Amino acid sequence: MNEMTDETSGAAGSPSSSGRSAGAQDSRFAASMAYFERAARVIPGGIYGSKSPGFLVPGHFPYYLSRARGSRIYDADGNEFIDYLCGYGSQIVGYGNPAVDGPALEQARKGDLLNQPHPAMVELAERLVGLVDGMDWAVFVKNGTDATTLATSIARADTGKQVIIAAEGAYHGAANWCSTNVFPVFLQAEQRDVRFFPYNDVQALEALFEAERGNIACLILTPYHHPTYKPQQLPTPEFTAAVERLCRAEGAYFIVDDIRANFRLDMHGSHKFFSVHPDLITMGKALANGYPISVLLGTDGLRKTASSFFITGTYWMSAVPMIAALATLDEMERMGGTARLAELGRVLKDGLESLGLEAGFRARVSGPPAIPYLTFDEDPDLYLNQRFCAAMADRGVFMHPHHNWFISLAHSEEDIARTLEAARSAFAELSSSLATERP
Amino acid sequence: MKTKFMQLSTEEKRVLARLKASLALHMVEEASAADAGLQKICPSGGVSMKLGIRGAGPALGLQVPKISQILPAPPRRPSLLLFFPNTEAAVRVFSGAKGAVIPVPLGAGAFSALAFFRKASSRATELLRAPDTAEATRARLLLAATLYGLEAIAGESYLERRMQIVPDGVVGVRAGEIAFRVAKKGRTIHVQRDAQPGDALPEDAPPAAATGSPHLDALLSFAGYRSAIDVLSGKRQAVVALGSGEVHIEGLLPLVQGLFAVLDRLSWYLGVEV
Ligand SMILES: Cc1ncc(COP(=O)(O)O)c(C=O)c1O
Repeated sequence: MNEMTDETSGAAGSPSSSGRSAGAQDSRFAASMAYFERAARVIPGGIYGSKSPGFLVPGHFPYYLSRARGSRIYDADGNEFIDYLCGYGSQIVGYGNPAVDGPALEQARKGDLLNQPHPAMVELAERLVGLVDGMDWAVFVKNGTDATTLATSIARADTGKQVIIAAEGAYHGAANWCSTNVFPVFLQAEQRDVRFFPYNDVQALEALFEAERGNIACLILTPYHHPTYKPQQLPTPEFTAAVERLCRAEGAYFIVDDIRANFRLDMHGSHKFFSVHPDLITMGKALANGYPISVLLGTDGLRKTASSFFITGTYWMSAVPMIAALATLDEMERMGGTARLAELGRVLKDGLESLGLEAGFRARVSGPPAIPYLTFDEDPDLYLNQRFCAAMADRGVFMHPHHNWFISLAHSEEDIARTLEAARSAFAELSSSLATERP
Repeated sequence: MKTKFMQLSTEEKRVLARLKASLALHMVEEASAADAGLQKICPSGGVSMKLGIRGAGPALGLQVPKISQILPAPPRRPSLLLFFPNTEAAVRVFSGAKGAVIPVPLGAGAFSALAFFRKASSRATELLRAPDTAEATRARLLLAATLYGLEAIAGESYLERRMQIVPDGVVGVRAGEIAFRVAKKGRTIHVQRDAQPGDALPEDAPPAAATGSPHLDALLSFAGYRSAIDVLSGKRQAVVALGSGEVHIEGLLPLVQGLFAVLDRLSWYLGVEV
């Protein structure tokens, strides 16, 4: 019996996920597949984390991308897609926008990672403090995870309290305290003092504050709820009021993790859009149109604690992303900013919902129009999402089946019109394939 | 890193002993259904027996019907109890090492049941190893071992938080004509075999919501027996098989992802050195 169990121990492989599909045989993605097979030999999982092929729909989406321009991405096989993932939100003024890349590349030639910060750091901090509502200081880091981890650490150090409260299903990064790597060793350490409640549930939040009274360092929330695999939820006014009231009463800091929505809802920060008043705000992604930089912004009350922190990383002060961030802010304003994003998103949302309805589906686009996500009310298991997004990818439109989408200022009316044309035929394909499957 | 049996906590020892015993029973069950040779030597009324392990919870039961019985026989009273005085003994015996086991006759046919169990266990091992085993049989044994393995360990405290964040639901698992259904609810996993080679596949094709047929929240399918064997025996990385289309997952991904996390723990258990 020994061998029997040894054999089964090989079942260890841990794919992160997947979707349905056609696969390797699809010559449309031959180069992607060839790279993937090579990658699997030298990189755990081939492609790890949220970019793992299984998170998309294998056979219908490329695994490797080679270049991008404006609203378009091109895969390793040369296939073109209108892109609605925007580098997971980091593209806001379009891929390869010369207004950003010009000054950034010029700085790259002059020097990027220097011994001391570039003067652009001061300019960027001043710009953000002036722009983002209610914030008095800025600290630059590389990844969003660095910013959220620093935010919660500063809140803990300042209050001398341990507990962090977060919403179930919210993503705040890949560090042990907030990731889905729930190994008991982390549960007993970094995750021990993190508590969760269902988003928008005032009673549950009140109960949690009551249960942890005197121990809560901070409450970290995204400006609205954008969990993977689920429709997005906007905060109710009762919920935001409760958040502020409870934090105040407890002496806990309120952190808005604006990394994903960053500048897509309001140039003064998404908290302004929802009329809330955080003590700390994290931003990243769109901040520099894809150049690697994130920021933690804070109020005066936390300045002293922040200055007593040892904050550093070899690459955290590189100049190019700071120059890129300044240029991105200028370009966003020039291109029409959040009003334009909302307008384009509205056309996409209305179009998708009515095309879905025409084809007999209860397709619903949730979230703010600039950050839409389509789900089917009749299918919480996401089979229809996977089929719809696969059909869209077959038609040259990259819409993620499990993660919210992003509109960028590089999307044109024509892009949206072409997307809706593709959607009409994708819904029709979906509808006829279901009709043939029906017993 | 391999862990030694002696390093395990009391709970882990108990889980491992039950896991090994459960796999042994399921392998005998599957091998008996799939193998004509075993069917031939199966006692005429089938086999009904129990495994008891001191310190590892209630006894586990095994029922092997004789397929020539036209109508499925009602469950019989066990004729034999294989009793292990402690968890280590069970783990050792089911890992092919020497360990204490006491056969306790409970009724007529105890000795033929014991003889059959011994033969069927070693035949199951042989079927898994032998290169000339039909692919359908190997795939079936490997799938059963994997899925019943998940069932056996799901409730342990190591997995508590994992099981909490995995949504509840039912996953259909398919390879060729083999179909299992894995139901995850709270901290439990329940496995049910829906079809074996030769049966008609159940008609619960996704998306269930749209077809109105029995509901599967997710469907995990292997392109064929070979893919199932390669992935489940570790010859092919599961992630690569997913990427290359040899394994498909549709539906509620976090449910299947969650089961893969449990699978990691299963492989850790199976790697424990005795
Ligand atoms: C809301 C939110 N917070 C934090 C992060 C983590 O950012 P990063 O991936 O840059 O570490 C993300 C990334 O998706 C995010 O969406």
